[in-house]
Amino acid sequence: MAKSPKKVQIRTYNVGFGDCFLLSFDYGTSERHVLIDFGSTGLPDGVPATRMMDIANQIKERTNGKLHAVVATHRHKDHISGFETKKGGKGTGDVIRLLKPNLVVQPWTEDPDLDPKATGPKAKTSKKQITGKLRRMGIDSLKQVSALNYMNGIAQQMLMARNLPMAVKSELSFLGDTNLANRSAVENLMTMAAKNSYVFCGSKSGLESILPGVTVHVLGPPTVDQTDTIKKQRSSDPDQFWQLQAKAIGSDEVVADQKRILFPKRYVEAARGDNFPIRARWLRYHSRAMRGDQLLQIVRMLDQQMNNTSVILVFRVGKTLLLFPGDAQIENWQFALGQKKYQALLRNVNLYKVGHHGSRNATPMDLWKHFDKRSKKKGPARLKSLMSTMAGKHGHEHSKTEVPRTTLVNALESETDFFTTQLLDHRSDHKDFFEDTELTF
Amino acid sequence: MVTPRQTRHALPNARTLTVIAQDPSVRIGGRLLTTELTIPAEELLEGPCGYRVNVIDYDSSTDTLYKPAEYETLADGHIKDPFAISKRMKESGQRPNGYDQRLLDDPKFHAQNVYAIIMRTLAQFEFALGRRVSWGSDGHQIHVAPHAFADANAFYSREDRGIFFGYFTGKSGKPVYTCLSHDVVAHETTHAILDGLRRRYLEPSTPDQAAFHEGFADVVALLSLFSLKDVVEALLDLNVAGDKKLIAARFLTRDALANSILLGLADEMGSEVSGVRGQALRRSVTLPRGKDYMHMPEYQEEHARGELLVAAMMNAFLDIWLQRLAKIGPVSGGKRDRSIVIEEGARVAGHLLTMSIRAIDYCPPTDIWFSDYLSALLTIDREVVPDQGEYNYRKALLESFKGYGIEPSRGTDKDGTWRLFDKELRYGRNHFDSMLREPEEVFRFIWENRTAVNVRDDSYIEVQSVRPSIRIGPDGFVLHETVAEYIQILTLWTSELKSVLKITPPPEIPGNRRIRIFGGGILIFNEYGQLKYHIPDRLEDLERERQSERLKVLAEIGFFEEPAPSRPASDSQSHFAQLHRSRALGSSFALRRR
Repeated sequence: MAKSPKKVQIRTYNVGFGDCFLLSFDYGTSERHVLIDFGSTGLPDGVPATRMMDIANQIKERTNGKLHAVVATHRHKDHISGFETKKGGKGTGDVIRLLKPNLVVQPWTEDPDLDPKATGPKAKTSKKQITGKLRRMGIDSLKQVSALNYMNGIAQQMLMARNLPMAVKSELSFLGDTNLANRSAVENLMTMAAKNSYVFCGSKSGLESILPGVTVHVLGPPTVDQTDTIKKQRSSDPDQFWQLQAKAIGSDEVVADQKRILFPKRYVEAARGDNFPIRARWLRYHSRAMRGDQLLQIVRMLDQQMNNTSVILVFRVGKTLLLFPGDAQIENWQFALGQKKYQALLRNVNLYKVGHHGSRNATPMDLWKHFDKRSKKKGPARLKSLMSTMAGKHGHEHSKTEVPRTTLVNALESETDFFTTQLLDHRSDHKDFFEDTELTF
Repeated sequence: MVTPRQTRHALPNARTLTVIAQDPSVRIGGRLLTTELTIPAEELLEGPCGYRVNVIDYDSSTDTLYKPAEYETLADGHIKDPFAISKRMKESGQRPNGYDQRLLDDPKFHAQNVYAIIMRTLAQFEFALGRRVSWGSDGHQIHVAPHAFADANAFYSREDRGIFFGYFTGKSGKPVYTCLSHDVVAHETTHAILDGLRRRYLEPSTPDQAAFHEGFADVVALLSLFSLKDVVEALLDLNVAGDKKLIAARFLTRDALANSILLGLADEMGSEVSGVRGQALRRSVTLPRGKDYMHMPEYQEEHARGELLVAAMMNAFLDIWLQRLAKIGPVSGGKRDRSIVIEEGARVAGHLLTMSIRAIDYCPPTDIWFSDYLSALLTIDREVVPDQGEYNYRKALLESFKGYGIEPSRGTDKDGTWRLFDKELRYGRNHFDSMLREPEEVFRFIWENRTAVNVRDDSYIEVQSVRPSIRIGPDGFVLHETVAEYIQILTLWTSELKSVLKITPPPEIPGNRRIRIFGGGILIFNEYGQLKYHIPDRLEDLERERQSERLKVLAEIGFFEEPAPSRPASDSQSHFAQLHRSRALGSSFALRRR
């Protein structure tokens, strides 16, 4: 096997709204395969329901039954649902598990040692080691991890919210669904490999020994301490921060037990639907719409918070750089973007996996302006971009939150060699479900 | 006027209603601390629904309408307070059986609680300003939903014409109602009123502007609480048990009062509501004075910055109270008369509350800075007490604000007050009487004098309000002034900002972007209709460089990253809902985009 790869093939699978990229590094006589995310929250219309299994099998075929590493950028369904297992080993995650990856890379927030309630099979680290970890991550990291777990619970409740205007319901259920705890996928990721690597900005990725000749830089997510250095201010007391975060977002109460009436003997029984007293109708109409907005606001924050735990990786072979930022949004990016060494790295990126399916906050101006290889002229040195997305799932055009964001797509089309999975939808009646991109080093 | 008894006596002007003094967690001897609020009397429909407040107890989380509170009108024109404790019981310090639980469990009491606190807050504004005050939302009656949704949040929404209070389950498993927290209700009411007085304070702007709504709402809420004698008394009692008539001098030092009155209340307040209300009161004691907070990066964030305003006011409150206490002679053994101590505390809070509210009339219509507010406070005090008087409020305010890094506005007099207007003006084409009430007439005045008042004739100019301000002057006579508010808007290409308005745009803003620059001013006319003060917020960047600063901040929060909206947004609902939520969250992610 050569000391460093000669080329890499990136296979972009069309999972609808989600991400699934297989990186195959060619070392001449052999290949090393890294799977970055495998998840979906919705397949394009007309695609057979077996598509996720088709992809799992295709990955198996392409890797000849051996996967070297899995990167699960963050816990959202559209990035990890493919790792779900089923009884009898019939899940897509069972197929991946059988490919026996040597390593699973995840953000530090997934580290079971930091989860106070974790029941994972991994032996508990000693108290001393946890203290060491805490020192590195920031003292509030335990709270952040438990807050993230708590948020899964809130998402669950959101899905049960009743009495909402229709317009709100669909977005709410989409975002709620994405944020649900995905237990079997999470456990599968925790146990499928011999080694797990929980990374943060500046840490080692764990991929070094798996990919000789490839340097992997971890640019995100930042730890709590790193975040503190860029955050202008937190108004709450630091020790209450995460607790409040979880509490204020959810307070179990947002939608819990909606049949429970506060004062059971004191409500107006006749006030139902069209029979609402005239005096109260205006307020009722507005309150319901407002509550819908509130729930959306909460679930959007939740969603964003989870996106911001995304692993951001830069693979470097010689002078070629590939950037895979998961769904990281500006708050995650901020720490890395503030550092000169990473700014220099980003300038030379040759291939960019478009963040968060093309949403506006995931490709911040500060990042975009660093890409020196953007160009209106075509040519071999021009920046390549890969986007996995599906329109009509997320956000709205009128609020400029549609995904993919039109202005971003226009910029990607005019200044990069752009590929989006949406192109596959129009080809061959959905029979083609992946696209290959090759870079030679 | 004919009363229900067909006599020609005047109808009662005021009435009292029972409320929970602060919130259910403040207990004295294990009992809820209640008080009777004096509020304007009116005929009340069920709800209660009156001429300014319409309580509708609708819960959108469960789609339930709770039964409205109803009031029986008595023969003397008063209404019967269903939750009043009889005089006899009050005197003997007793309560009816199960009284506390009844207050907590009866939504009709919750409705009464919000109604009374909102009406009192409104009345305090009307008293201070000497005129009727509008809500920021359309219409005259604001909707109030005491149990609006299951969520630890409460907010005012301009678009929904209402104030909404959430509820949630506390750590003990019992429900926590934000509508039962006096400070939360007064805080939200203040948002609604301030929005009526200064609509543009919700525009995205500098950290000061973002912080001002929060800080001011807290100031009003806390001072209005401290102006209740029952509250001051209960807080003093936290430290001093036993003697109910006299109080030892050691309880009346600055530290002792800071601990009993400010920290004491902060400790007693339901900690579970802290996500809704923030930590401003605690911070006013724990933040050491004498640091340049205003320039520290951690105080650029709006909630933290708002707390500086609260800290400055609360410390001024203590300082002035102490000044007044120093003049009370000891009764025996160095002890002071307790009732006078309490009375003085509540009085100082009342005075400061009135000043704080009046100062709004002396603040620019757009883009408020804390330094403007301080200058406005000092000016209003100079107007009311021209020679410093027995108690030097101005000195106390100046020192206290300085302690938190807030200095008077630039371009003011040496004492930090606004300068009197002294340029030559033309009044000849204006009519005195119209100037007192008609925006068109005031606009004509501005137009005639546009050079003297530095108004650009190529900008959009609108006189937004002409309001009377009536108060009792130092000589006991009624003083009738007029406050007019005008705004200017000029939309320019980024590349023109420097040459036209001397504004330095931050490099992040593209050159071909259309930028709206806001300016305006407050004109205060004396009782002869002569311009006394002009408090401008100019379009041009002159010595204060405010416009450049504003653009810099907007660029930092990512305001210019997206194409300019075809219509400027003015969504106060999402503004306060998000603002309050982000306070609870520590604002880590609501900061960038509101």
